Amino acid sequence: MTKSWVYPMVVLSAWLSVSVVLEAQGDEDIFPFPVSVFELDNGLTVVGVDYDSPGIVAYYTVVRTGSRNEVEPGFSGYAHFFEHMMFRGTETYSTEAYNEEIKRLGADSNAFTTDDWTAYHTVASADALETIMELESDRFLNLSYSVDDYRTEAGAILGEYNLNFSNPVSLLREKVRELAFVSHPYGHTTIGLLEDIQAMPAHYDYSLEFYSRYYRPDNCFVIVVGDFDPTELQQLAVSYYGAWEPGDYEPNIPVEPRQTDERVARISWPNSTLPLLMLAFHVPAFSDQAIDMPALDVLSQLLFSQNAPLYQQLYLRDQTVDVLSGGAVDHRDPPLFEIIARVTKPAQVALVQDAILTEIERFKTEPVDEEVLADTKSAMRYSFARGLDSPGPIAETLAHYLQLTGDIETVNRIYRLYDLVTADDIRRVVNTYFSAANRTVVLLTEVDR
Amino acid sequence: MSRRVILVCAAVALVWGCVGDVGQDTATLGLAVPDSPLVTLRVMVGTGSVDDPVGKNGLNALTALMIGRGGTNSLSYEELTKILYPWAASINVQHDKEVTTIIGEVHRDHLEPFYKIYRDLIVAPRFDFEDFQRNREFLSNGIVSTLRGNNDEELGKQALNAFLYDGHPYEATEMGTERGLASISLEDVRDFHVQQYTRNNLRIGVAGGYPDGFLTQINNDLVGALPLAIDTSGSSELPEPRILDGLELILVEKEAIATAISIGFPIEINRADDDFYALMIANSYLGEHRTFNGRLMIQMRGRRGLNYGDYSYIENFIQDGGTTFPLPNIPRRQQLFSIWIRPVPHHNAAFALRQAVFELSQLVESGLNEQDFEATRDYLINYSKLYVQTTSRRLGYALDSVFYGTEFFIDEILTRLSRLTVDDVNAAIRRYLQAENLAVAIVTSDAEALWNELSSGEPPSVSYNTEVGDQLLADDQAIKAHPLAFNPDRMRVVTVDEMFVDLEGP
Repeated sequence: MTKSWVYPMVVLSAWLSVSVVLEAQGDEDIFPFPVSVFELDNGLTVVGVDYDSPGIVAYYTVVRTGSRNEVEPGFSGYAHFFEHMMFRGTETYSTEAYNEEIKRLGADSNAFTTDDWTAYHTVASADALETIMELESDRFLNLSYSVDDYRTEAGAILGEYNLNFSNPVSLLREKVRELAFVSHPYGHTTIGLLEDIQAMPAHYDYSLEFYSRYYRPDNCFVIVVGDFDPTELQQLAVSYYGAWEPGDYEPNIPVEPRQTDERVARISWPNSTLPLLMLAFHVPAFSDQAIDMPALDVLSQLLFSQNAPLYQQLYLRDQTVDVLSGGAVDHRDPPLFEIIARVTKPAQVALVQDAILTEIERFKTEPVDEEVLADTKSAMRYSFARGLDSPGPIAETLAHYLQLTGDIETVNRIYRLYDLVTADDIRRVVNTYFSAANRTVVLLTEVDR
Repeated sequence: MSRRVILVCAAVALVWGCVGDVGQDTATLGLAVPDSPLVTLRVMVGTGSVDDPVGKNGLNALTALMIGRGGTNSLSYEELTKILYPWAASINVQHDKEVTTIIGEVHRDHLEPFYKIYRDLIVAPRFDFEDFQRNREFLSNGIVSTLRGNNDEELGKQALNAFLYDGHPYEATEMGTERGLASISLEDVRDFHVQQYTRNNLRIGVAGGYPDGFLTQINNDLVGALPLAIDTSGSSELPEPRILDGLELILVEKEAIATAISIGFPIEINRADDDFYALMIANSYLGEHRTFNGRLMIQMRGRRGLNYGDYSYIENFIQDGGTTFPLPNIPRRQQLFSIWIRPVPHHNAAFALRQAVFELSQLVESGLNEQDFEATRDYLINYSKLYVQTTSRRLGYALDSVFYGTEFFIDEILTRLSRLTVDDVNAAIRRYLQAENLAVAIVTSDAEALWNELSSGEPPSVSYNTEVGDQLLADDQAIKAHPLAFNPDRMRVVTVDEMFVDLEGP
């Protein structure tokens, strides 16, 4: 019925094993908790993580679909909209009945959508595991909502857009995406474009198609973290998800052509704001085999951590920015390495941009100091360990890496790659990806009032 | 599907260490989790924005930032960040109305050298002028740029606070005011630190995998290194907030894509009172934060699609990061009841306000029935145990419990809620909640048009994305007919640039 395997990791207490990993490094796994994985015949992968959280489990259902899948014009934001529709009930559990059950459990339950994936998460009492699985499997197999419910939910989406866009960073990021991508759906943000959101109430039939395409067991996985019996988990999964039919839809996601010229824009904001400057460069898709993205992750630390010379110059000494950060989020297709600066004086925008570009140029020629490189890798490993402090974040961390490749070992593999990044790798990736022709620059300033 | 579910909490040792040469009011709270590789330190100082001198609003916040984003007597901020970086250790500050908390988090591999830096930041901060300039500008930008122009929801909440607490020590934002910050000197910061960061003005907690003897060490060389307060008459009595008279309205006008609404009034109780726990149940039923449990959320978003979310609170509430749980270490002696209506399209704003007040009035008039009471009480007993999944947050709530003089907050919820009856809850609703005398803060783009609609006496208009049924139309009629008694003498329209300039404004 199922195939399964168990990773025999450490037998020590969970927390203690984190220390072991950090001290030993090398070939040790960064992910410190025992993991069991099995796959149902219909392709659903179920992952269990044994973590010392007496009486509590986190339950994540992940769909490997996000705004990346919004390939048809006029349907930006749809993955996120559909996430909302998943709370609109089934014939067995109406919305009201579902919410009453979640309330009865005293559960913390919600969902989120990103460019690449959508997650439905619940943290609750360990003895509620079967109830959670019944509720979750029911809506993934049997979702059913009316046209009126569909249209009503569109109002909530518009409300979410409205609250997001009282922040100029949302507008800035939307413009950068629009400029930097000409073909790929990463050209719009996950919330979607306003005109598409306003048109959502008319697209009920498309919502059924979207459900049929992507909410399939071979496009999803379940992660359970905390206090549970792995054997019982497997039996429950077979019982509740076994009847779920696999799908065969393959989205035709366009390949973004290589950018050959710098793209620049300036936009205005109708309220008070300090100037916001964003520079973006196309970088490769996530891989747990190639060194480029790990090297770029290390680079983002070298450029923008509190320890970075550029950060200390602009934020601490010159005080020309009060926000400065940069990096690329792991994506299944080639994303942007985004740099954002909030400039404290409008007249200093050019100065700040020059400083950022000058520092990037320096990395093209000067090798990174080995001690600094070692400190950076240390910070990344300790930061990872600090994030694993309760069942929810542990599930989310594992889900992030699992959705990228479908491979449970990715999280360990990528941290081994971080250890292998050299000064030469850093210099090479800076030269490869940080050219003017690969750059998009957008400046947002306060409108003249 | 109907079996009762009971959460259990992880067992941890909670101990008080009160050793060495320390003031009698000072003790270190230890929450030992021996297997944990992480250690959290929280020092809660009994100083907040209420302690800002007249004309220098923001002094507490700026002093806190000089600790959290400044150096020690032996390390500049730049040197300090270089040391902390490879450990991925952090030192952050939270500054609120009545307390300021310095939060250190580190892997136990580096606890000893980390602790020395953490300690020195509190007992011997550097107070570099460059740090002072940068931190003051950061706070000022937080008011002038971020609050006024980058976040309408937070603007609405702060406008409600300023309006509701007009003339009260809580009036200013926790960041201060624009002019207050401009008037602060580095010398003011030094003096404030000497006055407020004293041995008998601290509550200290440590959680995680710290070694034996660590509590003693803290009591000796952190607590012991600070002076005793010269004047221990200490915290001043807070005056009562002003009395609201009808529906009082402040309209903050700015370019806005939608209308943000906050509603509130002071309540006389906090976590130290029995009735606070009865009111927890009533509030959860009306508007539990970020859930579909509350009537506000069910009726306004779920049934009508008016906006993204609608919640209510019986104390100052800030969501802790990406969780839905209350941020610890922002305790206040005086609390407020509030309703948060997330941005609604302008054309539905008047209806949304009326519906929120209607739902509140329904709660006050009808209370909870036995079934809703049982369901909500059981929910809170279980859900509150999820607050403390991390030792850091558990420690934070433990310190809050010291502030309020109660047992551990999560235990209080269990024991007190378990004893309550539906009659207790409904009695508390009648005692503390009402829907007539409310402060309302609205952030919108055309204040005059909204005020004209609100004050016209006509039923508010509302439009939906879809055809709605007869039952909802009938319910809407009841909402539209619900009277809103605005007090025209307590109605103000201000432009956003007038907000948070100083305490004379708006």
